[in-house]
Parts: sequence; structure tokens; C-alpha cells
Amino acid sequence: MSLLVTLALLLLALAGAPLFAVIAASAMWGFYQNDVDLQVMAVEIYRVAEMPVLIAIPLFTFAGYLLGESKAPQRLVRITDALLGWMPGGLAIVALAACALFTAFTGASGVTIVALGALLVPALAKAGYEEKFNLGLVTTSGSLGLLFAPSLPLILYGVIAQQMALDVPVGIDQLFVAGILPGLLMLLALSGYSAWQSRKLPKSGHEFDGKEAWAAIKDSAWEIPLPFVVLGGIYGGVFAVSEAAAITAFYVLIVTVLIRREISFTNLPGVMRDSMKLVGAILLILAVSLASTNYMIDAGVPEKIFGVIQEHISDKFTFLLLLTVFLLILGMMLDIFSAIVIMIPIILPIAMQYGIHPIHLGILFLANMQLGYFTPPVGMNLFIASFRFNKPVMTLYKATIPFFFILLACVLVITYWPGLSLMLLGEG
Amino acid sequence: MSFLIRALHRIEDSILVLLLLSMIVLAGVDILARLLFGGGIVWVTPLLRVMVLWVGLAGALVATRSREHIAIDLISRLAPAPVVRVIAVVTSAFAAGVCLLICWHSGIFVNMTHEFDDRAFNDLPAWILQAIIPVSFGLMGLRFLLQSIMAITGHLTLEAPGEADLKEAGQ
Repeated sequence: MSLLVTLALLLLALAGAPLFAVIAASAMWGFYQNDVDLQVMAVEIYRVAEMPVLIAIPLFTFAGYLLGESKAPQRLVRITDALLGWMPGGLAIVALAACALFTAFTGASGVTIVALGALLVPALAKAGYEEKFNLGLVTTSGSLGLLFAPSLPLILYGVIAQQMALDVPVGIDQLFVAGILPGLLMLLALSGYSAWQSRKLPKSGHEFDGKEAWAAIKDSAWEIPLPFVVLGGIYGGVFAVSEAAAITAFYVLIVTVLIRREISFTNLPGVMRDSMKLVGAILLILAVSLASTNYMIDAGVPEKIFGVIQEHISDKFTFLLLLTVFLLILGMMLDIFSAIVIMIPIILPIAMQYGIHPIHLGILFLANMQLGYFTPPVGMNLFIASFRFNKPVMTLYKATIPFFFILLACVLVITYWPGLSLMLLGEG
Repeated sequence: MSFLIRALHRIEDSILVLLLLSMIVLAGVDILARLLFGGGIVWVTPLLRVMVLWVGLAGALVATRSREHIAIDLISRLAPAPVVRVIAVVTSAFAAGVCLLICWHSGIFVNMTHEFDDRAFNDLPAWILQAIIPVSFGLMGLRFLLQSIMAITGHLTLEAPGEADLKEAGQ
């Protein structure tokens, strides 16, 4: 009977039933089997109101949506072009850097492709890059920057890991530090590829223009302090993640609505509503997962799975390889937020048995998931790009292939070199 | 009827916007208070935490309207239209059932907190803070039920999530 229910739920999930409903149903089935009163669901869901750090999620998401709807993307492209455009492969590198920064702040929800792609693809085409390269670059960049603070998936991983009462504490600020070098590795690898791609182009990168650089800086004067205050504040330990989120939301709201007036009072409620829809979808999955996780841990599911794996795999090396393959497949089907809340409670205890540091696991997990955003057949960003640029999805499948393999190589480096993630924490 | 539905939508939207605005203001004031007076206001932090739950559930309720919940959209992208429709009927009915079940049981729970007169921070009755759970799941359940029926009659527009997003954004 239990097997039948599990199968039915799996089928419903694959058929596109809202994932929160599937998770909630599995938790309720588990409780029912163990004669636990289903009122416990209310208790579990209410735990969302007992985690102080969660306030960062609505506040950062709202700030990201506001920035996306304002003219900040244009200014971001202008300033990165003025500062980096002179390098070989200049414009492509501009695109990568701008996308990474923007994704970190908007939480990789496809906003990057919509907001920045429209500016970057025509500009790249004008500079002489092939269409296939442009589309691949922009689609890939939609999830680049996931490992940089203050990205939502990093925060969510920290929240889940903290719920699990591990022997090794996992601080969100530590995750932010750990993501820096792996994120830079991906950025550098793609920049190198772009520079190599542009070797045949006529010298497109313009000379460095001090006047334009200064004008671009003045143009972005209100936005420039933001990354410094937020990242500096968090990395420097001046304030907590939730405080950084509060400052960001407050500041961005004042700047875009009152000072720059790029978002009118009539449009503001719409932006707020749209951003909170995403927050609602994430928090709802988190809420019901708290219930299902609790049940799974009580039932000893991670130990059982570990027992099975242990029989076949004894060394860390093979386990990591298996994990990478598994995460790639997972990333093709599941979005990053549900993947974190559903899989981390199971994977984390198992990985720790193999001696993997929980912070390293978080970084390699997210790096794998980043690939999932544009892995065929259902990577979300492929469809957003297909819709945005009016190209068949098949074209985008092909366009992203070289980028996929470059990032896959980076993921393997990140997976097998824990020091890359941990050295800045002084634990490598 | 459609007037009532529009009114309900407006109320939900307004609650969502008001919640978010007050969260931003309260969180900002709290930080200022801590910087200027060396200590925050006692009831702000617990209130903010409860507001996260409220804004999340209200946001989820609004997301149900436009079918923007996180789901695996493999089949809806690849299957032919009639199959997609049948699947929409089944999955929506399933989601409705789950939501209504949670609504029912959390309703009993909130009722008990009310009877025992449990208190949260600042002596606030706890049941008021918890009431959002049965209310939001109840409304979500009804909405999923309606969508299931609309899918049977063919009145439900079925779009892949990303596209619906972009269209709404007017792109």
C-alpha cells in the first residue's frame, strides 16, 4: 500500500502537480501511517514563523524585482562596458560580469535573461559575435552568479542546513564566503572561452575611455553603493543577512520610487505582488517540507539510504561521482528551490558520513543545480530565452552545448577540490 | 459573482502589498532603533517573523490564481493539448484535496489554541497569528477545485509557467 502511494505521488509530481501538494501529501500519509494527528501539519507550517533568517527571502526578492523593473539593468551594462569593454572579448565579458552580479541580487528566477538579455543580445550581434554564441552566452548567464551573495538559493541552503542540528555549524555568512572562489572560477572559465571565441572578430573592443567611464559611474551613483554595503556588510560581519536584506529593500525602494522615480506609485503594487508570488511559492514548499523532513528523519530514511549505498560504495571519490550524476539528472527536472528543500535533508547526512564538509556540499550542490537551469529538455532558462528571443528551443539547446561542458568541468573542479570552497574560511 | 471574485482578488492583493510594505518599514525602523538607541523594539522581531509566514501564504494564494506554483513542467511542455488538459484536471483536483485537508486539520488546531487561550508575544492571542494557515489553505483548495472544474469544461488557459510570467510582464 505504502509503495502504491509513493508511486502515485511520484507520478503526480511528474505530471506537473504543484510540488508543495505532493510533499504535503507524502508528509500527511507518513503521519497518518504512524497514527500522528494531522493537526501536526499546522504546527510544522507555523515553524516558518520561527526562523529569523527567513525574512531575508521576501526582502531580497522584492529588491531584486524592483531593480529588474527599473532602468538599473541599462546602467549596469553601461558601467561594465565602460570599465571592462576594452579587454579582449570585451563585450562578452561585460555580459558575463553584468549577468552574474544581477543574478546574485535577483535570485536566478529568470529575471536576468528578461532584463539584461534584451540589451546584451543585440549589442553582441552588432559587435560581430555569432548568433549561436550570443544566445548560448545569455541563456547560460541567467544562472551565473548563483554562488555569489546574496543569492536566494545560498540562503535557503543555509536555512535548511541549520534546521538539521549538525555537529558542524553552517552559517549563511560562511556560505557567502565559500561561494566566492567557485563562482569566480565559473566566471573566469566562461570569460576565457569568450575571449577565445572573439579572436576571429575584427578588433571590436573599444579603447578605455576615461570620460565615458566617469559619466557611467555618475549615472549609476545610486546603485554603486549597494553591492559594497550589502556584500561588504555581510562579508565584513557588520550585519546579519536579514539586516542586509532590510537595508537593501528599504534603500532600493527609496531610490527607484522616490529619487529616480523609475517605478511609479501605480506600478509599485504590481511589482510587489509579482515578487511575493515567487516568495509564496518558495515558502510554501519550505513550509510543507519541514513536515515531511521531520517525518523522514524520524523514520531514519537517510540512514537506510546510507546503508544501501555503503554496501556498494566505500570511498568518497566514487560517492562524489555518483552524487554529481544524480544531481545533474535532478537539476534537469526539479527547480533549484524545491531541489534544496526536498533533497538536502536526505543528502546532507549521507554526504557527511563520507566526510564531506556541509558547506562544501552546499556549494557543489548549487553549482550542479546551476547547470540544471539550462540542461535540456526542461531547463527553465531555455524556455525563458526561447520565448524572450523568439527562437525555437532546439536552437537554444544547441547554442548552450559548449557552455554546458565548460561549466560541467568547473563543477567537477568544485566537487573534487573542497579547498576551493573552504580556503577563504580557513578550513581548507 | 464575478464582482465578488474581483473584490476578493483586490483584498488579497492589498493584504499582500500592505504586509510587504510594513515589513520593509518595520525592519528598517528596527535597525535604526538598534543603531541609535542600542536596542531594537521588543515586539518587532517576533512580529516580523510571523509576517514572513503571512506574506508567504498570501503570496502562495495569489500565485494559485495564475497557476504559478513550482511544479515539474515536463509533460505540460511536451504532451499534446488534450493530454495536458486531462492532466490539469487530475493534478488540480489532487492539489485541492491536499489543501482542503490541511485547511480542515489546521482549523481544528487553531480552534484548540483559541479554546486554551494560548498567548504569543505581547500577550497577543496566538490563534489570530495562526489563523492564516486554515484561511489560506482553504482558499487555495477552493481555487484549485475551481481550476479542476474549469479544465473539465475547457475554460482554463494552460500555459507553461515561464511564458505566463513574461506575458504578464508585458514583454
